[in-house]
Amino acid sequence: MAGLSDSPGDGSNLDRNSKVVVDGVSKVYESERQRVEALSDVNFSVSDGEFVCLVGPSGCGKTTLFRTIAGLEVPTGGEIRLDGEPVTGPGTDRGMVFQEYGLFPWRTVRDNVAFGLEEQGVKEPERSRRVGEMLDLVGLGEFADAYPKELSGGMKQRVGIARALAVDPEILLADEPFGSVDAQTRDMLHEELLRIWAETGKTVLFVTHDVEEAVKLSDRVVVMAADPGRVREVVTVDIDRPRDRTDPAFGEYVDRVRSLIGE
Amino acid sequence: MSVETGTESETGATTDPGSTHESPGDSSIGSLSDLDTAGLAYGAAGTGIFLAVWQAAAMAVGRTYLLPSPVEVATAFVVELTAPTTFTVPFAEVSIPATRLVANLLQSLLHYLPGLAVGSVLGISLGVAMGWSGRLDDALTPVTRFLRPIPPLAWIVFAIVWIGIGHGGAAFIVGIGAFWINFYNAYAGVEGVSTHLREVAETLGVDDDLTMIRKVILPAATPSIATGVRTSIGQCWMIVVAAELFGAPGVGFQIINAAQNLATDVSVAYMAVISLVFLVSDGAFRRVERRALAWRD
Repeated sequence: MAGLSDSPGDGSNLDRNSKVVVDGVSKVYESERQRVEALSDVNFSVSDGEFVCLVGPSGCGKTTLFRTIAGLEVPTGGEIRLDGEPVTGPGTDRGMVFQEYGLFPWRTVRDNVAFGLEEQGVKEPERSRRVGEMLDLVGLGEFADAYPKELSGGMKQRVGIARALAVDPEILLADEPFGSVDAQTRDMLHEELLRIWAETGKTVLFVTHDVEEAVKLSDRVVVMAADPGRVREVVTVDIDRPRDRTDPAFGEYVDRVRSLIGE
Repeated sequence: MSVETGTESETGATTDPGSTHESPGDSSIGSLSDLDTAGLAYGAAGTGIFLAVWQAAAMAVGRTYLLPSPVEVATAFVVELTAPTTFTVPFAEVSIPATRLVANLLQSLLHYLPGLAVGSVLGISLGVAMGWSGRLDDALTPVTRFLRPIPPLAWIVFAIVWIGIGHGGAAFIVGIGAFWINFYNAYAGVEGVSTHLREVAETLGVDDDLTMIRKVILPAATPSIATGVRTSIGQCWMIVVAAELFGAPGVGFQIINAAQNLATDVSVAYMAVISLVFLVSDGAFRRVERRALAWRD
């Protein structure tokens, strides 16, 4: 079983030259009445071009970790490094995809995708060219002039992906991006995301609570545990793509990750 | 609005985004044609019965000044609409020919429009500023809470001693009314902008307050702000009439003036003018709103 190479959730996950390094990150929420340790000494790294999924039970701090990598939360200990540079706040070097899409409802699909480019000062006609390229990438060229309310959940999330990628980020960060779409659409979006990943060569860090989704997509699965949120184990998924859910090896990985989570 | 938007979101189903987007205004037409003929018939019957009861009651009373009949009101309306007079354009001091009704309406608009415009702009500005800045909110909330319940008309005392009860004084009162309505709607709109959208904007490179306000806060708050403007368009007519009861010239003044001459039919005709002007301006604003905010759910 060469494929099931695991590594423990301590500092040995850490390759300090990686694209993303999560280095001893902890996050404590303290109020007068209680102290919640959302993350406790979390260590792992993601290599350039790698697809890594974060899975864990609810309350394991995976969303907190996602927000910390995004720069929307400040860790109480440790640091996150992107290409060696510590993360100090939100920035366009990390393209974010959210479960609730976060599309600007007053902007058309085209203008949503253009938002980050406007902020970067990308001028026309380069901006339109780039937006068109992104819409083609996610197959939404025909819907460029639609408003978000006119789109299905799956289409909204493809806009979200296009918008995140438009600014050419170093990594793509996704927090349960397909959590709100039906199973069929989710399968389709998986294929699409893998294709986009292959085409763009981006590093992807993908948060999910769906173990099958994690095994389907990722090179490595970072399995987290709750109370306090920490890395339990990192599982390398050694199956060729495209992966088939009915493949016995696929099932073994799913069972392995599930047992680690305690499901 | 809720009825039309409901229809809009139902027809704007997820399957065919292109078609609904290209014709955002169509949904209202759609809902009108959906209105069954029976509904229209009931509306006509209700109106007919209302007018008949009114006419019968007026005939039973038998005195126009106590209760003018719909026919008498309609006659008075036509007389006011056609009776020639002149309207003196302020500042320019030029007299232009007009009819009595038009001249009175223009008089009212001379304080209604400036009051509405200035009051709305100031109210929206302060509402956005306080909705955005927690510090400013904390600093000014006690004052705004205290001043807000005072009816605009109570400020007539200052309108009289500062400005005099002409167009300026009436515009002042109207402006106060428009200010509070727009202030609270803008404030609530800005407060209601989801943290999520702000965070999304931050991850897409927005890193200063002005850009955030311009590109996220204001567009997201626009529906609420628009509701404030639309509400004040209606409410300010109420205030106009009240202010004119104190002597500013215009439609409201004619209502009380005619009544003092026992020409109640003329009073009611001017009441109808206010209603018509409101219906037209409100309808026009709703059209603009629906078009400009076609993106709403």
